[in-house]
Amino acid sequence: MTRPDLAKLWPLPALAIAALLPWLPGLPAFWVTLANYTGISAIVAIGLVVLTGIGGMTSFGQATLLGLGAYTTAVLSKDYGLSPWLGLPAGLIITAAGATLLGAITVRLSGHYLALGTIAWSVGLYYTFANMDLVGRNDGINGIPPLEIAGHPLLDSRAMATVIWIGVILAALITNNLLDSRAGRAIRALKGGTIAAASFGVNTARTRLLAFVYAAVLAGFAGWLYAHLQRSVNPTPFGFYPSIQYLLMTVIGGAAHVPGALLGAALVTLVNDRLQDLLPRLFGARGNYETIVFGTLLIAALQWAPNGLWPLIARLRPRRHPIATNAAKLPARPMPAPGTPLLEVVALRRTFGGLVAVNDIAFTLNAGEILGLIGPNGAGKSTTFNLITGTDTPTAGHVRFQGHPITALPARAIAALGIARTFQHVKLVPTMSVIENVAIGAHLRGHASPLAGLLRLDRAEDARLYAEAARQLARAGLLAEADRPATSLPLGQQRIVEIARALCLDPVLLLLDEPAAGLRHAEKAELATLLRRIRAEGVTILLVEHDMEFVMGLVDRLVVMDFGTKLAEGPAATVRQDPQVIEAYLGSIE
Amino acid sequence: MLNVRVIAAAIALGFAAPALAETIHVGVTISTTGPAASLGVPQRNTIALLPKEVAGQAIEYTVLDDGADSTRAVANMRKLIEENHADIILGTSTTPASLAMLTVAAETKVPMVSMSASASIIAPMDAARRWVFKVPQNDSLMADAIAAHMAAASVKTVGFIGFNDAYGDGWAKEFTRAAGEKNITITASERYARADTSVTGQVLKLLASKPDAVLIAGSGTPAALPQKTLHERGYAGKYYQTHGVANNDFLRVGGKDVEGTILPAGPILVAAQLPDSNPIKPKALEYIAKYEAANGAGSVSTFGGHAYDATILFTAAVPEALKKGKPGTAEFRAALRDAMEAQKNLVMTHGIANMSETDHNGFDTRARVMVTIQNGAWKLLP
Amino acid sequence: MDASILLILAQDGIVNGAIYALLALSLVLVFAVTRVIYVAQGEFVAFGALTYAALTEGQTPGALWLLGGLGLAGLAAGLWQGRGDHTRASILRLLAETILLPAAIIAATLILAPLKPGLITAALLSLAIITPMSPLLYRIAFQPLADAPVLVLLITAVGLHLALTGLGLVFFGPEGYRAPPFSDAMITAGPLLLPGQAIWIIAIALALMLALYAFFEATLTGKALRATAVNRLGARLVGIPTEQAGLIAFALAGFIGALSGILIVPLTTLTYDSGFTIGLRGFTAAIIGGLGSYPGAVLAALLVGLTESFASFWASAFKEVIVFTAIIPVLLWRSLRHGPTEDDE
Repeated sequence: MTRPDLAKLWPLPALAIAALLPWLPGLPAFWVTLANYTGISAIVAIGLVVLTGIGGMTSFGQATLLGLGAYTTAVLSKDYGLSPWLGLPAGLIITAAGATLLGAITVRLSGHYLALGTIAWSVGLYYTFANMDLVGRNDGINGIPPLEIAGHPLLDSRAMATVIWIGVILAALITNNLLDSRAGRAIRALKGGTIAAASFGVNTARTRLLAFVYAAVLAGFAGWLYAHLQRSVNPTPFGFYPSIQYLLMTVIGGAAHVPGALLGAALVTLVNDRLQDLLPRLFGARGNYETIVFGTLLIAALQWAPNGLWPLIARLRPRRHPIATNAAKLPARPMPAPGTPLLEVVALRRTFGGLVAVNDIAFTLNAGEILGLIGPNGAGKSTTFNLITGTDTPTAGHVRFQGHPITALPARAIAALGIARTFQHVKLVPTMSVIENVAIGAHLRGHASPLAGLLRLDRAEDARLYAEAARQLARAGLLAEADRPATSLPLGQQRIVEIARALCLDPVLLLLDEPAAGLRHAEKAELATLLRRIRAEGVTILLVEHDMEFVMGLVDRLVVMDFGTKLAEGPAATVRQDPQVIEAYLGSIE
Repeated sequence: MLNVRVIAAAIALGFAAPALAETIHVGVTISTTGPAASLGVPQRNTIALLPKEVAGQAIEYTVLDDGADSTRAVANMRKLIEENHADIILGTSTTPASLAMLTVAAETKVPMVSMSASASIIAPMDAARRWVFKVPQNDSLMADAIAAHMAAASVKTVGFIGFNDAYGDGWAKEFTRAAGEKNITITASERYARADTSVTGQVLKLLASKPDAVLIAGSGTPAALPQKTLHERGYAGKYYQTHGVANNDFLRVGGKDVEGTILPAGPILVAAQLPDSNPIKPKALEYIAKYEAANGAGSVSTFGGHAYDATILFTAAVPEALKKGKPGTAEFRAALRDAMEAQKNLVMTHGIANMSETDHNGFDTRARVMVTIQNGAWKLLP
Repeated sequence: MDASILLILAQDGIVNGAIYALLALSLVLVFAVTRVIYVAQGEFVAFGALTYAALTEGQTPGALWLLGGLGLAGLAAGLWQGRGDHTRASILRLLAETILLPAAIIAATLILAPLKPGLITAALLSLAIITPMSPLLYRIAFQPLADAPVLVLLITAVGLHLALTGLGLVFFGPEGYRAPPFSDAMITAGPLLLPGQAIWIIAIALALMLALYAFFEATLTGKALRATAVNRLGARLVGIPTEQAGLIAFALAGFIGALSGILIVPLTTLTYDSGFTIGLRGFTAAIIGGLGSYPGAVLAALLVGLTESFASFWASAFKEVIVFTAIIPVLLWRSLRHGPTEDDE
């Protein structure tokens, strides 16, 4: 029924071109050399797209990781006489192991600490290489044997170009696969903030580590190619400057896009090479102006294209995501019997310094009801949400869910129990389409490993996850917008997308933080209908909302908070008459 | 769309530079930026002074900068060979990058003349190094000279401090060997980075080991820092430096604190003080005159002399090579290599080379003199 | 190791740490106000130092022409950025900043330099030449990117660093410089040997820190900068132009960088590219200190200086390994204490 998807068919012709193009008669030899260096840089840059552009972790250490792969194969093939092909798995294993070790520390660092952390271990490793006899100290290892195929050494640049560019295309292919898989969506979800990702069961620390190790393994792969292309290794190409070079290639190409990595690598390599020729002609051979002009061009390019060049070329739109309507439905969890106590909040307290944000709040939520949590701004409603969902830790008190204490659990464990939420400040991933965002909600309902994602062994499961996402979007009335960039929707609709995402978790309990804010009147009515229908399916809802009309028409009971304290609890109509509540609301006109 | 086309055109334009036959293409890659710029800049300035013609053949030089990075050095070498059809490669300024270039020389069968320190570039002689020559003195030759001078001055113990890079490393290795041969004990072996602003820790360690002399293995002006600090701390023993400091900037920065320092250097450093009978003297003075005419009085450094020597070596080989083939052909390049290997008693600014199948440096002890610093100037020691 | 060595190493660490502290302070300031990690800060150290060294030798420093060039580029950038809403006053202001001021400094230098000015004059002149480059660079490179992600600003700063290093090589050549100290005095106190210059460094560093403290606490501009650092939008709403805040932050960073260079060049040899290593130490301290805390940055800078000094005694070949490995646990501790953050990119 569909025509072949071009976007999926590109690898085959690309592989053919990579294998054959270098052998085109009349192709200048130096173009092939440039292509080789471009290819190696591109592989490192693709890793940086995942790590920095998408995962949000800035690394100044990729060249050092490349060195790890290069040294491994150099030592094995030169000093131990093993086949260079053995150097590949060995290099990848060593880089992966090294990166897991470094990453275990690094990814726990946040923001700038992380960037400095990568500088720290890369400087450390650089000087370790330079002072280590095993790897030849500063002089390095020279005369590394070339790759061989059936006894033929690949000494010709063109043969290396074929190998390198097959490598580039495979790297791009598996990276695209990864980013389109369950694990990849988790990495991309980091861009929307770790809190939102964790609230849908993403193990953010492990996901960050995955991105880190993945980028490192690609760098290690590039290192293996480098060692057998260059046939010599020493510390100079693995230091801080080359690392910066890879990073700037990634940024100038478009840090969040795999083709951007290729573009950036090619552009930086070519521009540097052309400058070597052009500048002496313009300024004479006496000065050295390459770095000056290169730096200036870099600055100018970023003024013109702060997001890199690829988005300008591609006029990016998220790809249309085909939905397999016939995919089997995901198993759903059983709902508790209506009326039984579902969530018990006991003497919950949270203080920030001297400020008591939540003051011994207690209430019980029964299965199948909609409970409204209302109160003026700063009453502690959102903090209460964060305490229940594990985003924040209470100072005292506890929370029980279906009879089990969940107070000390991390957000992702609470999500796994079937508690889903939306956020007061919308936390969608701007670089993902609506349906991709919604599919993150189903993270815990899939099980495919990152490796399965890389190799496309996860397609059946992924189709089911997407079918579920489409089903929830359809319920929320936004299926037509599925392929739009999430943050291009009006803010009110983004809140609805968040609800669809929460529904994807197959929740027992749904916590909605001001879902009606920014909606028009008719949309509010639709939302109310949706929430009633969800309740009818057995889902319990805890709702924070300011819009009294919306709340009163919808909820079964109300809890009123003010200054962190519970003012009143009970059926909507009763609470409405409570003098304290009236006082609180009238006393603080918003 | 337009932009893409313009960029593509610009790129294509740069590539289209067909090589002229009959011209000898000399490819040069040196470190005119980065940590070895103090070596590479005078070398680049020297290239501008080189003869544009030899034996009736025009010579064209293409100079590229590698910033002392071995990836760029190798890429430059490939570019020079593949794009500029270089018949010979001169370069580069640092040892690790020169070592990385060996493989390409052997693979493409293009002779290469290195301008960096370590003997490991040309020894042990093997299939790859067959294509590689080196004009600066081996660090081993210089280390022997220092050790001999120390032994003569009854120095028994030496503290060593060197750059934390290939230069310092090579010296640590060679000097340890040379000192051992003369029964000199090394009491402390310290390292510092070229860009360090303080070496107090290392200097305290040296002082604590109470050596008779200190050898500082650094290049250019940063080599003055340990000596200044030692001086400040009242160290009263002998100071030795390496030939890496042999330029006037070192004197300028070192000032009073480097008076009396002893170092081995190429004869060019004290060319005017050489006896007239020394055949190196006129060669060296000729180079100095040319260089200072173009770059100002006092601007010459021994490092630029290596680039001059590299040209002396290959131009001496050109007439012989021309008999075997035309420039741009494999025969010419192979003959050039053979003819360079056959050079005997070739006078350069740094010494007199006798090349052989096993020695592609060819210098003997005539390629180094011991020099001291007196009244802010280099003074030849007898 | 005996007590005297301990003392000497501590002294060395503190003197170096004082310089790192100054750089860390200005990095913190620039980052807080503009979100730029000012990689090119180190170049100001080198430029300041080498300009000062050239002036003390009676030479006309090459960086002078960079100032002129940046002035012209700044004018062009200013005209372009403000196109459409220039007033006569704003254009005059722009002309004063980008043409008049650099021209005056250039003229003064051309007159004074051949006279081989005294050390203080040379130092002041160097500051006058180097400092204005920083706000000019802000105007040219960063102001148009005010809303770009931190990563893009960082890479822009890297581009700036590359260009400035290249220019440094052109202006100052590959060799190092050392300048005469402000004071030749050598104070001996037990095992300690305190060069007069080291005292100058610590005194000026302290004075500068106090001045910065007073500036942030007591002056309106200082408070405005702090407000911008806390909340850019908010500061704009209450009438503090972010551009102005950025210009001031960059000017301070340029000033502190150049001053640091002038202070250390009598103690060591500096080359056109040694600023980067020094800047990296300052950067390290700034981040350990939390990129937002001034006292934290100063403490961290001293820590870096001391670690470096002791590491160079214990295992000089592995000094960098030790210094940079030692900061990882500190980073870990800081980020754990910090808790998970939502990086607003």
